[in-house]
Amino acid sequence: MTESRSAVGAGGAPGNGYDVSDDVVAVVEDTDLPRRLKDEVYGTVESREDVTVEEADEIARAVEARYLDTRVDPLDPVGTVSAQSIGEPGTQLTMNTFHYAGVAEIDVTQGLPRLIELVDARKTPDTPMMTVYLEDEYATEREKAHEVVWKIEATKILALGDVSTNVADMRVQISLNRDTLEERMITPEEVAEIIEDSLGVETVQNGAAVEFGPEEPSYRDLLQLVEELREITFKGIEEVSRVVIRREEVDDGEEFVLYTEGSAFGDVLSIEGVDASRSTCNNIHEIHRNLGIEAARETIIEETNDTLKEQGLENVNVRHLMLVADIMTNRGEIESIGRHGISGSKDSVLARAAFEVTVNHLLNAAIHGEVDDLNGVTENVIVGKPIKLGTGDVDLRMGSTGR
Amino acid sequence: MVDVSQHELVPEHTVLDEEILEDVLEEYDIDRTDLPKIKRTDPALPDEAEMGDVVKIVRDSRTADQAVVYRLVVD
Repeated sequence: MTESRSAVGAGGAPGNGYDVSDDVVAVVEDTDLPRRLKDEVYGTVESREDVTVEEADEIARAVEARYLDTRVDPLDPVGTVSAQSIGEPGTQLTMNTFHYAGVAEIDVTQGLPRLIELVDARKTPDTPMMTVYLEDEYATEREKAHEVVWKIEATKILALGDVSTNVADMRVQISLNRDTLEERMITPEEVAEIIEDSLGVETVQNGAAVEFGPEEPSYRDLLQLVEELREITFKGIEEVSRVVIRREEVDDGEEFVLYTEGSAFGDVLSIEGVDASRSTCNNIHEIHRNLGIEAARETIIEETNDTLKEQGLENVNVRHLMLVADIMTNRGEIESIGRHGISGSKDSVLARAAFEVTVNHLLNAAIHGEVDDLNGVTENVIVGKPIKLGTGDVDLRMGSTGR
Repeated sequence: MVDVSQHELVPEHTVLDEEILEDVLEEYDIDRTDLPKIKRTDPALPDEAEMGDVVKIVRDSRTADQAVVYRLVVD
């Protein structure tokens, strides 16, 4: 697989940090091992003491042989193996949609529906959420953390005060709660202005009281205005309906972390106090838009892995998930596995037809006069030829060699 | 504007020199169009990268400490 190649680590002079002789370093560096395994060998040699160069060489060779053994063979059907390795544990996933993830009291889609959502590359997940980390003092002081919460969580009118309709005068009356306004850092003047801008009505603001009404006295218009008023986002991000603030342990003490219901990743990253280097989101498309294809790939691996882990299936090898993520991001944008994505863009007509909506594919192929070169697995199974995998793709040729 | 390259999910992207690219393609025995792609509009792409360039990406890998991959910049 792609990641079997390795590069020398950034901080890494060979044998760095290990008490081993230069000769040992020389024999170990001479092997084809990746950095991490070399370090492992250094560690072992160091802890055993009195290891001769010959012994070190023997150890290194043995590890190398074992390492080369575990690599994928040429013509191995890695895709099929991955499909099976994810598919089998997939049968044990819950079909139950809702279950809160981890510790935060936020509902997140789990199990099979989440896995399907990921490989289908849905535009928006069922339950979008963000994990927002905070910077410096915002992360340690509850007050400061709350400032950020108010900038993210959508504030509707019902959170700010009471709304009543005066049918006699055809007026909507709002009595704002001073404490709440102060806490959320918004003034009655601002509230009145936002109402004017979004509803197109004249407002009368007097202290904490704001009132307005329809131009023509009409009972229907009045109710309509109240409906619209409830929809206005006065502060925060419209998509984010709720923010949960949690205190979490970190290496050097504790920090506040925000979990949100709903996501607007791009907007959140530019908010002051938000740590734009750690915050994440469970919508792979938002990650792709804001952080690029490589981050999207990383998120696909992370999210599929977490989904499986959550269900107690942690022994699915991460390489299979990496392969899925590699394929999904291969063309520089996120493609779904399945009829509308990877499987639907296969070269072979027969392979596509075998996957889903058989008749449509065959009909279209006939109309366009498509030709099938029979290079893939599925189409060769269909026509009964050996598939080009493993020993099936090795040709023997007989001939004489000149003596 | 947020500096995308600082995010922990974003690995280091650097534009690859043409000569080094030749070596890479030779080693794998492929054409540059066989490489995985990256969009020109990708936020993590270095500013100087243009269409047809190849970027070298050094990922922190789950299986090999660090992994080097290449992507061709496309429209």
